[in-house]
Amino acid sequence: MRKVAVVGAGMTKFMRRAHETGKELAWETSRMALDSCDLTLKDVDCVVMGTAPDAFDMIHMKHEYLSDGAGAWRKPYVRGFLGGGTGVFTACQAWYHVASGLFDVCLAVSEEKMSSCLPHPQGAFVTCWDQFTESPLGTSLLWFFAWEMNRYMHAHGITEREIALVSVKNKKNAIEHPCAQLPGEITVDDVMNSEIMAWPVKRLDVSPTSDGAAVLVFAAEDVAKRITDKPVWVEGAGWCLDTMYIGQRDLYYPKYVEYAARMAYDMAGIKEPRHEIDIAEPYDPFSYKELHNAEGLLLCGKGEAAKLTVDGETQRTGRQPWCPSGGALGVGNAIAATGVMKVAELFWQLRGEAGGRQVPGKPRRGVAQAWGDEMQVGTVIVLGV
Amino acid sequence: MPVDKITQVSQTKPWHGQIPVYGQYTYGIAGERFFREIKANGRIMGAKCSSCNLTYVPPRIYCERCFSELTEWLQIPDRGAVHTFTVSHVDLDGNRLDEPLIVAFVEFDGVHGGIVHRLGEVEPDQVYIGMPVEMRLKSKAKRTGSILDISYFKPIRV
Repeated sequence: MRKVAVVGAGMTKFMRRAHETGKELAWETSRMALDSCDLTLKDVDCVVMGTAPDAFDMIHMKHEYLSDGAGAWRKPYVRGFLGGGTGVFTACQAWYHVASGLFDVCLAVSEEKMSSCLPHPQGAFVTCWDQFTESPLGTSLLWFFAWEMNRYMHAHGITEREIALVSVKNKKNAIEHPCAQLPGEITVDDVMNSEIMAWPVKRLDVSPTSDGAAVLVFAAEDVAKRITDKPVWVEGAGWCLDTMYIGQRDLYYPKYVEYAARMAYDMAGIKEPRHEIDIAEPYDPFSYKELHNAEGLLLCGKGEAAKLTVDGETQRTGRQPWCPSGGALGVGNAIAATGVMKVAELFWQLRGEAGGRQVPGKPRRGVAQAWGDEMQVGTVIVLGV
Repeated sequence: MPVDKITQVSQTKPWHGQIPVYGQYTYGIAGERFFREIKANGRIMGAKCSSCNLTYVPPRIYCERCFSELTEWLQIPDRGAVHTFTVSHVDLDGNRLDEPLIVAFVEFDGVHGGIVHRLGEVEPDQVYIGMPVEMRLKSKAKRTGSILDISYFKPIRV
């Protein structure tokens, strides 16, 4: 396989974007990413699209609808879809398009527009469970998170207050992100006192739904070196799926994330992720998920993530910052675009271009991860300089 | 980029859309037998994979781990335990519920998997992980061959 680098990135502000269509967002952001590395559409050999359920946009096969905004006219174009895991997989998919030798430059576009989906985008998830044994109960996405969070707390004796620290940290980190939707200084008590959605999940444990796009440019080694003096290399990629039935997997620990991470780490030659990785962007649609996913990423032992958080090791200035971007909790959760935002954060951090969010000490290697589908897919990418 | 950032749909001219489909799907070979057993005999069945030593609930005609065809069916006890639970305070549209809803994943001895269902005859603050529960079925006349033929699971009083 060929060496592949990320050479450009762009993203919109995550917010309710009532005016632009999804494809207009995709165009705005794709232009931004191409401009960032002085390329034009003519330099792009192929396009991959990451976008989550069609129901958000009330249009089936919405990747076709989005294609012209993503720069796909008369080019090889494909959509990858792994639910919430889509964004990081879009980066993985762009990587293998180029690593395979088939293409030199791949545009990885992700777009999500959730505000158009009424009465609430959660409605798009009502019909994604087993239609005979789960959906008839009026099964809500929240229940699955709550079941998992409860099981995770139970297995390790972790408290709601410890988990709330993730929301506090990430929303604070997001203050320095120019694209953030819900940055802010909040306290553990604010989280604890926010309304209960589905116990133990409270309002401030949950990331906001969002509209936004994020785009990366991937290039083969020889091309990348011509384009930029600061290529950020893809060192590893991995993805893995567990059973779709909630009761047939371990809720307290995401084994499938571990398998995805091991695939990526083996490729990157990483033996001890907790020591060999400088920054991490685990997927944090809910506060406990950052901890849960970080354990799956082998950044600490099972049940240890809460203590690292309490001890401040995961702060931007800590030993191994988690979600220095502000994460889904702070920047916003425009599903597929949030996964790509996390990879973009590694890109900016490793190039020393993260502005007020810059992690001190010149980080050299980072891991980004997303999670989703039926709450049982892990997608992982490792970048390094 | 010359794009105005408008956040209120009322400031734009919206298109009102929906995806208007409905259908009738098959329960499948395993599903039909599973629900006919609940309706006719009031019992939960599982399908066993001897090579992986797993009993699947809900049952399937194949093992997802080794791809064997599963032909051995067995009855699952109607008593299980709460593996995890939540107390939901919002409906699917995010509106507050008048009465919180307790929903749990119920596991059974010797079974890989289990049943997602409501808990009844119990207050939210009484529920705990590991709580023994039993199935409460609708009367046979009211059963239609659905997961809702089970009214809920309720604590086993000792």
